[in-house]
Amino acid sequence: MKLKKLLALSLVAVMGMSIVACGSSATESAAPAEDNGAAAEAPAKEEAASGDVTEVELWHYFDASADAKAIVDWVDEYNSLQNDIHITATYVSREELMNQYTIGALSGELPDIGMVDSPDMASYISLGVFEDITSQLNEWGELDKFYPGPLSSCMDADGNLYGLPQNSNCLALACNMDLLKAAGYDHMPESLDEFKEMVAATTNPADDVYGYAMCAVSTEEGTFQLLPWLRSKENGKGVNVDDLTADSAVNGLTVLGDFVKNGYMSKEAVNWTQADAWNAFAAGKAAMVECGTWHLAQTDAIAGFDYDFCLLPTGDKGTSTSTIGGENFGICSGAENLDACVDFLTWLCSKEKEGEWAVTAGKIPTRSDSVANYDYEQDGFAVFVDEMNYAQARGPHAEWPRISEAVYTACQSVFVDGTDPKDALTKAMETIKPIVDANPLPET
Amino acid sequence: MKKRTIIAQKRREAYGFILPAFLYVLLVMGYPLVYNVILSFKNVDVKNLTKGGSVFVGFQNYIDLFADPTFRLVLKNTFVFTIACLVFQFTIGFAFAMFFYQKFKLAGPIRGMILVSYMMPMAVTGLLGKNIFSNAGLINNLLLKIGIVGPEWLVDTGTAMIAVIVMNCWVGIPFNMLLLISGLTSIPSEVYESASIDGANWGQRFLHITLPMMKGSIFSVLMLGFIYTFRAFDLMYIMTSGGPLNSTDVLGTYSYLLSFTQYQFSKGAAVAMVLFVCLFAVGLFYLRLLIKEDD
Amino acid sequence: MNKKEMSRSRRKEILNSIIAIIITILFLFPIYWLVQISFKSDTETFGKVLTYYPREFTFGPWLVNLTDKNFLLSLRNSFVNAALTMLITVVLGVPAAYGMGRYKVKGSNLFLLTFLVSQMLPASLTLTPMYLIFNKVGLLGHHITAPIAIAASSIPFAVVTLRPYFKSVPMALDEAARLDGCGPLKAFTHVMIPAVKTGIITILVISFLNGWNDLIFSMTFNVGAEMRPLTANIYKFQNAYGTKWNCIMAYGTILVIPVVLMFIFLQKYIVGGLTAGAVKD
Repeated sequence: MKLKKLLALSLVAVMGMSIVACGSSATESAAPAEDNGAAAEAPAKEEAASGDVTEVELWHYFDASADAKAIVDWVDEYNSLQNDIHITATYVSREELMNQYTIGALSGELPDIGMVDSPDMASYISLGVFEDITSQLNEWGELDKFYPGPLSSCMDADGNLYGLPQNSNCLALACNMDLLKAAGYDHMPESLDEFKEMVAATTNPADDVYGYAMCAVSTEEGTFQLLPWLRSKENGKGVNVDDLTADSAVNGLTVLGDFVKNGYMSKEAVNWTQADAWNAFAAGKAAMVECGTWHLAQTDAIAGFDYDFCLLPTGDKGTSTSTIGGENFGICSGAENLDACVDFLTWLCSKEKEGEWAVTAGKIPTRSDSVANYDYEQDGFAVFVDEMNYAQARGPHAEWPRISEAVYTACQSVFVDGTDPKDALTKAMETIKPIVDANPLPET
Repeated sequence: MKKRTIIAQKRREAYGFILPAFLYVLLVMGYPLVYNVILSFKNVDVKNLTKGGSVFVGFQNYIDLFADPTFRLVLKNTFVFTIACLVFQFTIGFAFAMFFYQKFKLAGPIRGMILVSYMMPMAVTGLLGKNIFSNAGLINNLLLKIGIVGPEWLVDTGTAMIAVIVMNCWVGIPFNMLLLISGLTSIPSEVYESASIDGANWGQRFLHITLPMMKGSIFSVLMLGFIYTFRAFDLMYIMTSGGPLNSTDVLGTYSYLLSFTQYQFSKGAAVAMVLFVCLFAVGLFYLRLLIKEDD
Repeated sequence: MNKKEMSRSRRKEILNSIIAIIITILFLFPIYWLVQISFKSDTETFGKVLTYYPREFTFGPWLVNLTDKNFLLSLRNSFVNAALTMLITVVLGVPAAYGMGRYKVKGSNLFLLTFLVSQMLPASLTLTPMYLIFNKVGLLGHHITAPIAIAASSIPFAVVTLRPYFKSVPMALDEAARLDGCGPLKAFTHVMIPAVKTGIITILVISFLNGWNDLIFSMTFNVGAEMRPLTANIYKFQNAYGTKWNCIMAYGTILVIPVVLMFIFLQKYIVGGLTAGAVKD
């Protein structure tokens, strides 16, 4: 009898709940999906006033406190600036967003504007996720203000544009100056040879301190951090990912492999994300770390030591290599309100807004005419801005994810299994070569 | 004549009970299966998913896969993972079930507490695994306390799989225990009582009463355990991303990598179909056992 | 029962309790680990030294989870997901298990095989095609969508696990009911369901958990913030800015608590089978 009571009880409960659920879902879905609150009321009033508003749905994956808040504020600002277009910003985690694009390519269910990590954009363009907006952007007339590297990541092989780069970043080296001083150095490394020496000297197993930390995880993040060493400039020469068996690339990987072999760098790098590597540095467990522009907004995590930033010492003295990162916004295929989307996009990537965003989120503007007045870590930003001159894009290539996998797999096999770097890179080229033979990488 | 109507009546009843669920599952799961089968025989990738131009390529994807050492490693990993997990979680789960099936005050509450590891979302379990098996994590810290320098669990290709198996068993044991206890409960207590009167000892009772009476639930627990373990995805995805160097990649994670990260949709579907075919073979075997049992 | 027997059973009780406690400590140590991290500060979690309990006790990580402005909404969504999944599973799965356990009909092996086959693709690979169908029939963005998908794998689970139990119930039981004038439905609900109630409770629990813990279906089929279940919050603590161990662990604990509470509730009021000593009844 007890069981019957249970069943009856749960039935009632479930039905009650589902009624509540259906009722509220109906009312909620009528209102625009609101992610970060606050904004709901003001636009609603405007709508009532103007009557004929174009609704635009924007999906993003900004999840750090500063940029997650900024995107909401900015969308509000834009909505209050004019009465014709109403943008709704929805946070969708990065991974989920990528799946939504892939599935959306088939189903056609896509947002109007979507955010995308720059190396992924080429694949999504190829999958038909984004709309060709070359003519609209040409009409706008400000394209020549954008740096060519970030802008190229929004293009297909024929040079058509599918979006705009909204922010950009690159990699440099952060140093624990106290540890360097303790090892007898009063400056930061300037060349690969000096770097090797300093990494060895700052390693201190007794204190659990590694000389160097980086991310070599088996995702795009790993490739992002590994590439500068593979593209390192030796005797004035460096190569791209279509020629990884060249001496400079092999040498770059050999240096990292030796770090692991000698205990100067934790093997755990193969599981570390960039955030993990940075946290190890911030906790004083690594003397130097490869880090991104955005880490400048996180220097408050550093545990009471003197730190500084310098160009990545990947090769000859006086030169450097780095990787361009950043996020683009594209207009998705089938967006019915194309003009409204373009209007918002060009506002978001305008001269002033680019500069503002860079300060807010700890990034670098994608336009040469934007000025970012950093009110913190100004010297650090100067290093990264300089580093941008040496930074290279990934691809753009529709099959970049496969190239990327070959790159991190090669490096991981050196770190984990002690494979000979030359052999590992030769194997990577077996995957990469057919891909770039069929569709070459753009000239850099 | 009357017998026939009774049979017809019975059949109608049976279908009335079975068909709603059957049709439901067929409707929801049928299309995904067909979709994957078709996809696995084509050459759909990032270039032609929406732009058209994909063609049927017969078994080419399968031929490519079996020629690929990474795939062969992944296939091997899947079997190693499944068999190891099944052995440990079933035997320990069964032992726990027998133990906590006994009547003592703490049995009930503790049985419930042990289930907590099964209630945890897999994503949290995976992250917990990543935390405790990290180089300076809990496991190595404990080992150090008894004078052992632990391995770099998640960094070494030889040990990462062990860590993943341990975490999976931690979830699987309560699951097996729960199902086996319900199996034990369905054995009428009179059967044991009469056996005790006949003087059967614990071992005899286990071999001659428990096991045979539990055969149905044991088969179904093992079968379901096999399916769920063989198609594992979340745990590796979160805990190791299949690494290092594919050493914890299983068919589930590998097909996801191919489909959703590399956009090699047809190859990913082919991997899923290999997974499917392996499970199908086990399913047929299970069915044969059941039919034998029915006779 | 004489004195000697009583002291024997008493000894056994004590021995069993000791073993049970040892098992619990070993088996649940990871849970302790998780909970203690959830009370640690950021600096302690990332600190150089591994600590076995929080040196500096803080509710911060819990508050981060609980004060999320969508917390109650997500909680409700998770409950709806779990309850609907449970409902569909029980309403369809239990009768099917009964039909297959008690009747001998043509094609029952085919039925069973179909149920099994439907489990044989990983969820990640059924996502895209399911999305395409749900999109076509206009189901996306509803609370029922994810439960429909989750139940499609809970139902076969229910059928496969319950079938042997229904089978093991003595035939005499429902024959007697039939003789008393019960129809097939009444015999099923009044005689058979109570006879296998432990199994049914197991199914209730597991199908509830399947819905409660689902992430991939809920996220893919309903993107809107107001549709997200609690499980989706995991992304907040594991992102480009690091793994916030303490917040993740608090999150895990918070996700489990409602389920544990439900268990305690069930145990106290209803369930004889699952948690109490099970030999009798």
